[in-house]
Amino acid sequence: MKYLILAYGSQRDYDAMAGRPAPGAPTWTPQDFEAMGAYMEKLNNDLAESGELVETRGLTAPAHARRLQLKGSDLVVTDGPYAETQEVLAGYWVVECDSYDRATEIATRLFHVPGPAEIGPDVVVDIRPIGESRHEL
Amino acid sequence: MNGLGDLLRELTPQVLAALVRRYGHFDTAEDAVQEALLAAAQQWPAAMPDDPKAWLITVASRRLTDLLRSNSSRQLRESRWVPPEQHASADDDSLVLLFLCCHPSLSPSSQIALTLRAVGGLTTAEIARAFLVPEATMTRRISRAKQAIKASGVPFGLPADDRLPVVLHVLYLIFNEGYASTAGPSLHRVELSAEAIRLTRMVRRLRPDDAEVAGLLALMLLTDARRPARTGPHGELVPMAEQDRNLWHAKDISEGVDLVTAALSKGAPGPYQLQAAIAAVHDEAPSYAETDWPQIVGLYELLRQISPDNPVLALNNAVAVAMVDGPTEGLALLDDRLGDDHRLHSVRAHLLELSGDHAAAQASYREAARRAMSLPQQRYLNARADRLTDG
Repeated sequence: MKYLILAYGSQRDYDAMAGRPAPGAPTWTPQDFEAMGAYMEKLNNDLAESGELVETRGLTAPAHARRLQLKGSDLVVTDGPYAETQEVLAGYWVVECDSYDRATEIATRLFHVPGPAEIGPDVVVDIRPIGESRHEL
Repeated sequence: MNGLGDLLRELTPQVLAALVRRYGHFDTAEDAVQEALLAAAQQWPAAMPDDPKAWLITVASRRLTDLLRSNSSRQLRESRWVPPEQHASADDDSLVLLFLCCHPSLSPSSQIALTLRAVGGLTTAEIARAFLVPEATMTRRISRAKQAIKASGVPFGLPADDRLPVVLHVLYLIFNEGYASTAGPSLHRVELSAEAIRLTRMVRRLRPDDAEVAGLLALMLLTDARRPARTGPHGELVPMAEQDRNLWHAKDISEGVDLVTAALSKGAPGPYQLQAAIAAVHDEAPSYAETDWPQIVGLYELLRQISPDNPVLALNNAVAVAMVDGPTEGLALLDDRLGDDHRLHSVRAHLLELSGDHAAAQASYREAARRAMSLPQQRYLNARADRLTDG
């Protein structure tokens, strides 16, 4: 069974990780950032080694997002349409594993990502079973 | 330090192209790259990164995020979106950038300024200095150009090759500005010529089968090869007839001749190939008198069929005809459309001098000197007039 694990973040988080925290936001030092990268790499390597990793990607900051929508018959493009604290998709994993519980176990590791002490309570991760065919949707 | 400058100049268009390709926002990306370059200039002398290009892209991307953040949370920017017609490979990024800078909605002076800034990696101050305008003026020109590109909504992607002639023309103008500066105390602004040659080489790498690209590169090399002989020890202009041909760059001449020879074999030649062919005839002649003038006249005939309304071609053609058929024939071909240009008056003066009418020649030299904007040219023309008085 394949599961999509979705991790969320806000522009504020990206700014903080880039070393430019908003007032009141956690301060990421270069060491914090390095430790986070190492942790994520370890996670991905473990999943690759166990054969459970299908695909994983991190997404760039919401400021770079572009939204397309029809207004009447016009295609309108809006750049970076997110408020700075609005949570948007920040990265995802597609894992193939034996059970929903195992997928949950994997996703739980995202709550142990090292970082400044202040982060944690806001972290949200979703797990979505992937439909393999139209009939499973 | 010079090595660092060269490296940054080489990387600038690549980094800018990478950012624009990935994130869009030409104008903001350009500002972000400038800030990354500044950071590199400050930090690299102390510690050189392992991968300078990746370093610049990372720093510029972060800066771009910052700049977008400061705009986007306050205002939503909406635009009609036009799907890119072609998908370009990463190798074409520099060419795309060049095409973008030569955007049809920009004036030639803005195209030149933006090309030098974005593709050439020159600072606004350097460009302003090269074009002898205040830096604030050049800053305004560049930012207007970026706004115009943004307003046009043209996406980052390789446009149809019909813009290539504009790109070549802009490179040609940059080269000429460096080779024969139209104003100011110094005859050459060598760095502009060198930059034009570098960029044309880049275009040639990306469009190796285009005969006009090869022709333009050949023309630049064959013209630039004469630079060392073109000025005397005091910065005075030395006409081709009096130049020491031993000073010409043999290597550039041979590369230019090879290029234009190969290009001409590809079928109907365009204007740059023909001009390069003319330059090649000059460069290969043992002396001014022994130049194959009938061949040059023939090449000018072909050129004038392509561009019948170009008064500068007509002027050069008159000189060549005078060398073949005598000064009177040449004088008859001068046309007054270039009345405000010193070149018409200096050619007329030269031909009058050859025909023996020294009084009229002197007056024409003075007229030409008054209209010439560069001091070496003025000094040269006045000296010619003085010599006629003395003689």
